[in-house]
Amino acid sequence: MAVEVQYYVLLSMALFSIGLFGILTRRNALLFLMSVELMLNAANINLIAFAFYHGNLTGQVFALFTMALAAAEVAIGLGILLVLYRNFRDVDVTVPTTMRW
Amino acid sequence: MAGTGAFGYAPAIALFPLVAFVVALTFGKYMPKRGAIAGILATAGSFLLSLWLLVTVAGGEVYHETLYEWAAGDVLTEAGSNGIEFTFGLLIDPLSALMLVIVSLVAFLVHVFSLGYMNAEGETGLPRYYAGLGLFTFSMLAFVYADNLLMAFMFFELVGLCSYLLIGFWFRTRSAPSAAKKAFLVTRFGDYFFLLGVVAIASTFGTVAFAGENSFVVAAETAIENGQTLFGFDARTWVTITALLVLGGVMGKSAQFPLHTWLPDAMEGPTTVSALIHAATMVAAGVYLVARMFGYYALSPTALTVISFVGGFTALFAATMGVVKDDIKQVLAYSTISQYGYMMLGLGVGGYVAGVFHLMNHAFFKALLFLGAGAVIVIMHHEQDMWKMGGLKDKAPITYYTFLAGALALAGIIPFSGFWSKDEVLYDALIVGLEQPVILVAYAMALIAVFFTGFYTFRMVFLTFHGEPRSETAEDPHPVGWSIKAPLIVLGILAVVAGLVNLAPLAQVLGVDITFLEHWLDGEFGSVEGLTYHAYHETVAFDEGAIGSETVTMLLGAGLSLGLALAGALTAHTLYNVPEPVRHKERLGGVRRTLEANYYQDEYQVWIAERFTLPVARMADRFDQSVIDGLVNSVSTASLFGGSRLKRVQTGLVTNYAALLVAGFIGLLLLLGTLGGWFL
Repeated sequence: MAVEVQYYVLLSMALFSIGLFGILTRRNALLFLMSVELMLNAANINLIAFAFYHGNLTGQVFALFTMALAAAEVAIGLGILLVLYRNFRDVDVTVPTTMRW
Repeated sequence: MAGTGAFGYAPAIALFPLVAFVVALTFGKYMPKRGAIAGILATAGSFLLSLWLLVTVAGGEVYHETLYEWAAGDVLTEAGSNGIEFTFGLLIDPLSALMLVIVSLVAFLVHVFSLGYMNAEGETGLPRYYAGLGLFTFSMLAFVYADNLLMAFMFFELVGLCSYLLIGFWFRTRSAPSAAKKAFLVTRFGDYFFLLGVVAIASTFGTVAFAGENSFVVAAETAIENGQTLFGFDARTWVTITALLVLGGVMGKSAQFPLHTWLPDAMEGPTTVSALIHAATMVAAGVYLVARMFGYYALSPTALTVISFVGGFTALFAATMGVVKDDIKQVLAYSTISQYGYMMLGLGVGGYVAGVFHLMNHAFFKALLFLGAGAVIVIMHHEQDMWKMGGLKDKAPITYYTFLAGALALAGIIPFSGFWSKDEVLYDALIVGLEQPVILVAYAMALIAVFFTGFYTFRMVFLTFHGEPRSETAEDPHPVGWSIKAPLIVLGILAVVAGLVNLAPLAQVLGVDITFLEHWLDGEFGSVEGLTYHAYHETVAFDEGAIGSETVTMLLGAGLSLGLALAGALTAHTLYNVPEPVRHKERLGGVRRTLEANYYQDEYQVWIAERFTLPVARMADRFDQSVIDGLVNSVSTASLFGGSRLKRVQTGLVTNYAALLVAGFIGLLLLLGTLGGWFL
């Protein structure tokens, strides 16, 4: 029994919105990273759902790429986080605004 | 393509001094004579090569070759020819071969003389001095055998730059830098017109070559024959205009009225430099240019009349100022201006041979006089005021006799070289003047100038060498070495015998063929097509008259000028050849003040500069500062202001950016949706 594709889209929308909500409200950089991961995965769900719906593998392949990309992004993001912490003794994103202009 | 035989080495004539310039500049400090040796060797090499060339040209060969083409293009010029080329090339014909010898000889002797004048006096900055001399000689030699107007212009400018560097050699004094700047600016004012002339000629005829089928002279001739209209003018009028524009540069460099004011001030440079400037390089460049493109001037009677009138006027004008000067170098400076006036007069009346002849003789005797004055200055422990000299005759006999030979040549006393050439100039002016009233006036002025020349020359000789010593240094002169004496002797001999190359009056009277220079310039040994005295003479449209027969006219003219020169010399003799001469010029009253102030030429030029040029420059500056800069500044102010407002969008808070991003995305969606009609 296959689940209708609109439920997947709804799930992915919910996930994306949670991620977006996190980015817009949180101040902790670590939570930022997690929220970004949520949004990426929302996109992944979409890709796979539509691949299943259309009956080809293109979307799945793209989902694999996105995961690899997400891993890389997390690596860099954590690196930035470490440096941020070392310089400001904090991971609050409102603190480094002194670096703007 | 390089030439064969002597011509293959022709570029080296100019390049030797250039090498000496580089060597003196880079290694001068470490060399035993501070670069003098390099300069002497280089100029000696140039001189020997020039002599070889002279012999080759005498053997009937000439050389006209393009060595390097640096720009060419297609353009439809006014006279209707297509394409234009800018090249470096050499033109070695009798005229340039002769001038090469003169320039390299004088430069060589000046280098040798410098050993005694600069090195022996322990000057500082000698490498700079010898480098300057080298570059000066290089530019002049390259100018002399340039085969086109643009190349000539470039080296003309380089000559001006070198004179600036050398006049300002003693840059720690107050007067030398100012004199150098004045020389540079005044000649540059003339050169501005020269540049306009070059551009005008190039854009009219599509060629700047001096000689050959493609020369601008030939093109101008054709245009006049075909009755073409160039830039809205009759062809002949346009040739006159361009010729006069080029003449602007000539008048600046050859110190003709009213651009002569820089030359007396240029005496601030070392005397050796003055000798080089006056005899062979800078000042000679102007007159040489007229001779070089004489075919072009010959096409325009108006331009020729202007040349002769300016020449005649300058000859008299400068001679009168020379009468009251106390500084030995100042007297010589004014005599130079006056003598170049004669050359211009000679060329202006179509006396190509006479002008070149006087240029040659003047190079020898003026170099002699300046080096003699340099010797006197050394003898007098750097005193230049003639009233502090006197009685040097017995103490420095070699200097005295060579200086006397130069003075006799300058004054135009028979049989010294100056007499023959000056007489020829005056004779040519007279025969044309008999038909042309304007030129007769120019002739009359030049004739009166002969008297003044004789007077100031011998006033100088008597005050310097005769009478009783009038100061302690004059009683106890400083000895001079061989390096000073040797050039004086060489030039002294030349000042006496150089006239032998063209004894026109004797040839006329005796009926023997001894006008060698005329034959030489007439291309009887070899010449480039169209660049001969005969070709020029046919083009010049002046009628020639005579008083009685030609011989009578000639004897009359010669007698008149010789009589006036002797009268001038005798006046100087009675007034100043006494044991204790007094300042007779006090008796001149108001005239003396005018003469000593040089006819207020500097004053009115400064007045023009201050009252006219300066306000115009100020206005231009104000326009630049307010309108142009204002425009630029307002543009930058607007963007600066906008930027400072807009940068506030960047809060540095990632959350804000994300919010803006989302808001923007939603806005875009709404917009697309509205336009796409999703909500209906």
